[in-house]
Amino acid sequence: MRELRVGRTKGDSLRYSIYSLIAICVALMFLFPIYWAFSTSLRNPLDTFTVSGIGIPWLNFEPTIDNWVTQIASPEARRALTNSTVIAVGASLVALVLGAPAAYALARFEFRIIGNKDITIWFLSQRVLPPVATIIPFYLVFRFLGLLDTELALILINATFILPFVVVILRQTFLDMPIELEEATLVDGGGYLTSFFHVVLPLAAPSIAATGLIIFAFAWNEFLFAITISSRDAITVPVHMAGAVDTRGVQFWFMGVRAMIAMIPPVLVALLAQRYIVRGLTLGAVKG
Amino acid sequence: MRWTGRVKFLFLLPAVIWVLAFTVFPLGYSLYLAFFNIETKTEITRERVPVLDDAGNPVLTSSGRPRTRSIVHKEQKSIATFIGFDNFERAFSDNQVISAVKVTAVFILTAVPAELILGFCLAVLFNRRLFGRAALRAIMILPIFATPIAVGYLFFTIFYEEGGPLGFTGIPFLSNPDWALASVVFVDVWQWTPFCFLVFLAALQSVPDELYEAAVVDGASGWDMLREVVLPILQPTVIIVLLLRVAEALKLFDVPFALTGGGPGVATQSYSFLSFRTGLRFFDLGYASAMAYLLLIFTMIVVTFFFRKLRDTYA
Repeated sequence: MRELRVGRTKGDSLRYSIYSLIAICVALMFLFPIYWAFSTSLRNPLDTFTVSGIGIPWLNFEPTIDNWVTQIASPEARRALTNSTVIAVGASLVALVLGAPAAYALARFEFRIIGNKDITIWFLSQRVLPPVATIIPFYLVFRFLGLLDTELALILINATFILPFVVVILRQTFLDMPIELEEATLVDGGGYLTSFFHVVLPLAAPSIAATGLIIFAFAWNEFLFAITISSRDAITVPVHMAGAVDTRGVQFWFMGVRAMIAMIPPVLVALLAQRYIVRGLTLGAVKG
Repeated sequence: MRWTGRVKFLFLLPAVIWVLAFTVFPLGYSLYLAFFNIETKTEITRERVPVLDDAGNPVLTSSGRPRTRSIVHKEQKSIATFIGFDNFERAFSDNQVISAVKVTAVFILTAVPAELILGFCLAVLFNRRLFGRAALRAIMILPIFATPIAVGYLFFTIFYEEGGPLGFTGIPFLSNPDWALASVVFVDVWQWTPFCFLVFLAALQSVPDELYEAAVVDGASGWDMLREVVLPILQPTVIIVLLLRVAEALKLFDVPFALTGGGPGVATQSYSFLSFRTGLRFFDLGYASAMAYLLLIFTMIVVTFFFRKLRDTYA
């Protein structure tokens, strides 16, 4: 299919150009909505609906950063940003601390009563579980505990839903690592714990970091639990976003800013973890 | 899989206990709730208490009786009545539920195949030398990680019928029930085609070049190659992608919440959305639990079906 013939013919370079052009158009189409949010966020409210063309700043309208300034200055927006950061980081840390050892146990040890495969699939199945089935009990239990509208409640819930990810992805990482180094440590008299903390974790650090980034993005993007549990103090960025439609109607310019603020952290994080995304999103089943 | 030391439980159990506590317990509790009719009422009671002075003695009226004042107590009370399977029966004849099932089914049956097919075509397109391929691939990652609720509002601005960038088409993207559902599907396709694309591309790139070469030597046409070489190799990947997409699609909530609010009417009210509304907006907790449970059972059936095939992947 690819580069079979030696040397390039005229037809090859023509094909290369045509396919490249198609690929560029496709990528731009997928980029357009994000670009549109960015463009909207820079518009003066009066320009919102009157811009010509595809709303290129300076060319089609005079851009302003007023919307950004107003949004970032709003205490509510700042609270949402702080909450989202605290919740996503907290939940990711909890999930990594619980998940990495479990992944290691499934990769290296043998479980007899319930087999390793079944335990792994059990973790995996938590991932496909519809969250609406748990929101009502969560709501009632956290109300009973007086934890409604707290960051703690959202850290606990998010940690639960990203934990299976950590277990399944890191299990694959540990399986792919050569076992000899660990065995050498064991022979030298180090215990399993020494070998886990001093040999395995440092070696797996890049994968663990990438997994951390991906689950951070998931926790950041989570909305259903956030809107169920939070009302004022613990609102996250997506919940704050949902408040952009208020009694004065839709304020597109603020919506643009908020959409950008919401999307920038998870998207950046995803680009940083690019090499691990395929493995992460397919729960370790496809190696990218 | 060779070690058997007891320390394995120290490694594994914290995570297992955590998941049991935070998913199995709530699921059990919601199954229990599903058998009750729960009414939340605010009960107001008045109580007359004697007025005391600073020293703690009752203040007397001129007639010599203690002066009293009334205190109003407000209490949220949930009254749960056991009703057996009534909630489940009610769900099967509830028009809202039937409409939500239809919306979700149409959504899954259109969005998921579209994502798989488009994703596959794009993967084939990208599985060759291209100008700036790494950068283009990076752009394709963006939609997958864009906050779904933000994506919903984002497309609200794009589909806005008076002055949005697609306003010139005159299509009632959000005000016509059929178009509104199509819009929700479109947004999902925009967000998740890149996911299918990335996974298929990774799978295609794992196919050794020798296989293609051998097929070419054997005189296989492009179509033969697709059917005889590429698809068999891709099959396990297709199953995983299909499973993940169907499972996610059954959870559909964020995009209709932001894009259409479930409307117009109930045209885009997905099953998860309806269950959320019933439970946490109308506080019909028992009924909402029963509804959520039906979804859970359905998901489990679908997943079990796939897992039989998947099990070997995780060997």
